[in-house]
Amino acid sequence: MTVRDSLVVLIGAARRQPADATGRVATAIRPLRRPATRLRIAPYLYVAPMLVLLVVFTYWPFFHTIYLSMVKWNLTPGAPMTFVGFRNYEGIVGSSLFDAAFRNTLIYIIASVPLKVLIPIPIAVFLWSLAQRGFAYRSVIFLPTLFSFTVVAVVFLWMLNPISGHFVQATRWFGGQFPNVMNDPDTAIWVILLISTWKVIGFNTLLYLAGLASINRDYIEAMRLDGAHDWTVMRHLIWPLLTPTTFFVLISTVIFAIQQVFTPIDIMTEGGPSNSTTNLFYMVYQYAFRTFNVGYGAAGTVMLFAFLLAITLIKVRVLDRHVHYQQ
Amino acid sequence: MKTLRNLLAAAALVLAGSTAVQAQTKTEIVFYHYQTGAPGQLMRDILNDFEKANPDVVVKDIFKQSEQITAEVQAALAARRPVDVTSVIGKNIVYFASSTPAVALNDPKNGDSSWLNGYLSNFLDAGRIGDKIYAIPHAYGTPQLYYNKDIFRKAGLDPDKPPRTWDEVIAAGKQIKEKTGLPGVAHLHAAMGDYGTMVMVTNAGGTYLTPDGTEAKFDSPEGIAVLQMWQDMAKSGIMPIANDQQWSAAFNAGQMGMYMTSSAGLRSTMKAAEGKFDLGVTNYPLWKNNPRKVNNSGAAIMMHAPEGPRRDASLKLIKYLSQQSVSNRWSRETGYMPLIRNPEADPAMAAYMKENPLVMSSISQMPETVPTATWPAEGTLEAQTHIKNMLDDLWAAKRPASQIVPETVKKVNEALAVNKKKS
Repeated sequence: MTVRDSLVVLIGAARRQPADATGRVATAIRPLRRPATRLRIAPYLYVAPMLVLLVVFTYWPFFHTIYLSMVKWNLTPGAPMTFVGFRNYEGIVGSSLFDAAFRNTLIYIIASVPLKVLIPIPIAVFLWSLAQRGFAYRSVIFLPTLFSFTVVAVVFLWMLNPISGHFVQATRWFGGQFPNVMNDPDTAIWVILLISTWKVIGFNTLLYLAGLASINRDYIEAMRLDGAHDWTVMRHLIWPLLTPTTFFVLISTVIFAIQQVFTPIDIMTEGGPSNSTTNLFYMVYQYAFRTFNVGYGAAGTVMLFAFLLAITLIKVRVLDRHVHYQQ
Repeated sequence: MKTLRNLLAAAALVLAGSTAVQAQTKTEIVFYHYQTGAPGQLMRDILNDFEKANPDVVVKDIFKQSEQITAEVQAALAARRPVDVTSVIGKNIVYFASSTPAVALNDPKNGDSSWLNGYLSNFLDAGRIGDKIYAIPHAYGTPQLYYNKDIFRKAGLDPDKPPRTWDEVIAAGKQIKEKTGLPGVAHLHAAMGDYGTMVMVTNAGGTYLTPDGTEAKFDSPEGIAVLQMWQDMAKSGIMPIANDQQWSAAFNAGQMGMYMTSSAGLRSTMKAAEGKFDLGVTNYPLWKNNPRKVNNSGAAIMMHAPEGPRRDASLKLIKYLSQQSVSNRWSRETGYMPLIRNPEADPAMAAYMKENPLVMSSISQMPETVPTATWPAEGTLEAQTHIKNMLDDLWAAKRPASQIVPETVKKVNEALAVNKKKS
């Protein structure tokens, strides 16, 4: 008996059922379960395309990376993949590059919070307060986001040239001497950080502006009528209502903090001077694609993933309770 | 009418069939290279000429950045995408020859290899492993001294008598700094601080790495002495601490007296100097009157094509690029070193040399070129990073080279030790 035949029989049976006192046909509902089963499949069919993409381009590469992190292989087709267990992890932690890369990774992440998460807030509030008059400023602040990071790195390298760069020449004109910031291990990392901040600050400001747009200005008017000053409005209204956006900006900034500095590191310093600008992300790239040590590269990637996952989980656990969702 | 239609249909079928047969008989080969801009266009022009001369071959050229080309070729091989002919950075030749399915160009299976005799023997050394030759030189550079004649004049130096030895370079650098306030001299260090250090040590008579690449040897007296000189250049202020891009930009802007870098940059430097300053080029300085010995920079060509029509077509292309007229055209229009013996025997090249005396130093350094030291499979990243950090420490001048260099060599050898255990 086909499904169609079953349905015809069941619907026929329902039609023959007498109604109870309330007029409902109690037993007639039951045979309709079969279409319900079909409906349960439908959501899976809807998500299937995305699921396939996720499996093929995210989960499969992820699990394959875990596998590669436990073998010794140099990317050469046909070359043997020797299983080495956790030796790649031991090797990378014991490597002379790891300490500096890990320390700098922490600096890039921690410094990104005030620079890329907090500074855009007052900028966004200021632009929001200007309403339509602020559109021109919004464009100016957002513009660096549109520039290619490669171009930005080359231009800054040029401007910071310690012999003929614009900064050196301008300071010389005033009788001063511009410090050789790119070639000093104490300052190079801060230059990279400032350049990446300049590049992403517009985007984060835009995110905050989107968050601010959802705040009803009537609340502010009401507070003002009650005699609230700017700081009180900021502290007790804007800041709490902006926490969901802040939380999102914080999570995404931390995750992308070390990726955002990859291009300036590669073009401007190659991790130097004296390993002062490298980070775990750049180290992984160097192992995997400069020296074809696939095992080390994959092990570093897995460690980086675990590190960022741990940081994100801690943030979710600690900060989520302070987020004020309007609904 | 019907007959005419049938005839036309038959003719169309025959035509389509012959086109299909023609398409089938063409062999496509894939050529990876890192030439862009004018050299990239020239490369394509040369490939077009090759295709005209060999209508049965189509060359698909794939451009990748020089920093990425090794990884890209490696990735293409791993993904089993076609890779037939490749530009390989000098220091990776041995790695590619031993770790990828590279084909020995002088393998008897590939027919007569007498065409390789056109190259100077020392140019083939970079690609020679035992009696097999895996690479031919292609985009070779040699280090040379570029100098700004206008700054020389301002500093009271004779622009027609450029420094010949390192002692003279340092003296001229000091004079430029004192008289003009501009930086006197800089020496490239190149990616990961490796090539510049290698050239300095090799030219001073030291050994940089053992031939199998598993042990660093630059803590010899010659190595320490020449690296101490590099520290003194930074310490005395005649060489500002910067990187290659910054030195190059400063020299091209007419803000630095002398710069030692690859001959591959000659064309761009000539263009930058045009109308701005009077450019001079001379040989790489001698170390205490020792014979000059300089490592080549740049890339060689290797072949990965599988046996069959693709290999035959790839060999045709490589032999075409090795013809003196083609090779000299490549050299003339890019600024890379001439590669075939006796370049002056080619009338076009002889005329070019006469018109462009600035190329003479790179030509005179052809027999003085030795292969770039090659790195082994493991520990290279750590080793090269130690060398890069060594330069940072040297230039910071907190300790003398006699302390910093042996410490670095020890660390480099520890990083490379894993290769010794294997062998």
